Amino acid sequence: MQFPALIFKNLMRRKTRSAFAILGISIGIATIIALGAVTDGLKFSMDQVLKTGKADFLIAEKGAADLTYSRIDEEKIGEIEKVEGVGSAAGVLWAIYTVGDKPFFMAFGVKSQDLPLVGAEITDGVTFTEESEDKILLGKVASKELNRSIGDELSLGENKFQITGIFETGSPIHDSSSMLSLRMLQKMQKKEGQLTMIYVELEEDVDIEGVCQQIEENHPDLVTIKSTAELNKVDKGLVIIDEVSLIVSFLAIIIGGIGVMNTMMMSVYERTREIGVLRAVGWKRRRVLSIVLGESILLCLFAILFGSLMGVLGVKLLMLHLMVRGFLEPMYTWSVFARALLVALLVGLVGGIYPAYRASKLPPSEALRYE
Amino acid sequence: MDLEVQEGEFIAIMGPSGSGKSTLLNMIGALDRPTSGEVIVDDIDLQKVKNLDEFRAKKIGFVFQLHNLLPVLTARENVEIPMFELGLPNKERVKKAEELLIQVGLKERLGFVPTKLSGGERQRVAIARALANDPRIILADEPTGTLDSVSGDEVVHIFQRLNSEGRTIILVTHDEEIAKHANRIYHIRDGKILE
Repeated sequence: MQFPALIFKNLMRRKTRSAFAILGISIGIATIIALGAVTDGLKFSMDQVLKTGKADFLIAEKGAADLTYSRIDEEKIGEIEKVEGVGSAAGVLWAIYTVGDKPFFMAFGVKSQDLPLVGAEITDGVTFTEESEDKILLGKVASKELNRSIGDELSLGENKFQITGIFETGSPIHDSSSMLSLRMLQKMQKKEGQLTMIYVELEEDVDIEGVCQQIEENHPDLVTIKSTAELNKVDKGLVIIDEVSLIVSFLAIIIGGIGVMNTMMMSVYERTREIGVLRAVGWKRRRVLSIVLGESILLCLFAILFGSLMGVLGVKLLMLHLMVRGFLEPMYTWSVFARALLVALLVGLVGGIYPAYRASKLPPSEALRYE
Repeated sequence: MDLEVQEGEFIAIMGPSGSGKSTLLNMIGALDRPTSGEVIVDDIDLQKVKNLDEFRAKKIGFVFQLHNLLPVLTARENVEIPMFELGLPNKERVKKAEELLIQVGLKERLGFVPTKLSGGERQRVAIARALANDPRIILADEPTGTLDSVSGDEVVHIFQRLNSEGRTIILVTHDEEIAKHANRIYHIRDGKILE
């Protein structure tokens, strides 16, 4: 018999109790996995928004709490295009409407000639013109989710549009949205002359850092965003989600740790006499400590397997019903599982160390007398 | 109390409950440290030994009244338990445990958990466990206390055999018949010893 087999057998002697302890930790692990997958998915989606089309970076209003709250004067486009190295710039207005059962259906106002710059490729039908007030393009995913295609009608607020084409960008957020004339969306939103962001395409072989620096110097009210990592300049949402994830991990360690400690303390009390026997036959304190701590950690390793499964299945189930379906694809990166594993090991250590210490400190003669 | 046991002796210690029999065994077996006086085992003054765990692992084999086997482990696995501290490879542990169980007549019970064994068989597993690290001294605290007379006799015969192989046996018992098998019988009363 190997030492780990002994640890496993000890854990299996109270199957129900071990199972409940595993379930308790698994819930924490599942939450961490689910939150991590959603956060990473969201970051990926935002990254796609940034990297879509030919744009090299985007510009938003400095200090905006969220990208959708960013407001930029449309006249800035001309000024941006004058910066050395800038090839072209496209202004986009971002609005959110309720469509059918989707409370957050996105509409992007953009000039039709700028569609290639924002990465929208018309796969079916024709585009709108700047003057068209009742024409709209629907993303490929949105078309499927809303079950509408060319010729169908789509209402955004009070306004009715006719779908003239289907576009595809490769970005989940864009593909589950709609695009219409910038002028029309500005009118609908009462934001004439305003944009949410500007997509910028550079000329060839231009230093992106230099251009961004120049723009930020010329326009102190604007920020340039080259990657998702820089998105927190305007989007505090991701920062908040990251912090919530951290708090949940911390709570999982505390709650899970208490659960494991309770389980292991009971186990140690029940086995007091056995521990006395182990010490009588010559086991060192260290070995007694390692067997109890090993059981606690093994408990948590089972929890990482079960919790991961619960997390992945839970997210899949939620995605079937949640309104984010379509534009948010949860991503299961190795870092999500690594964080969950780290939390599980910490729970095992936190919950196991005190019972293990108590067990190792039991005087053998007293432990043998324990009834 | 002054007690001297020679190497290779088989002695029995008798006395009423609370007379100090088990305390005496705990002292000899290095489970307790004496607060005064001295306990010398195999020329080693136990008060001066820092690592009593190692001493117990190598020098002493314990047999308890309530066999105290680990319920989740098979007979063979229970016998392997003391060998972990000696750092023996798994294969050697398994082989040695099987040999010891065969010696105590449990060849057919190697893979049985304690609940599937009779009282006498459990106590024989406990004796095999006590022999795992080949100690020269066996301390047995009422090893036949919960056994019927036939099983009790079997256990005593094993002790006699171990003694004939040169091991020192110190046996605590209430049973005169069992004690008779020893070379010497000591009576303890109120912590005092009478031969």
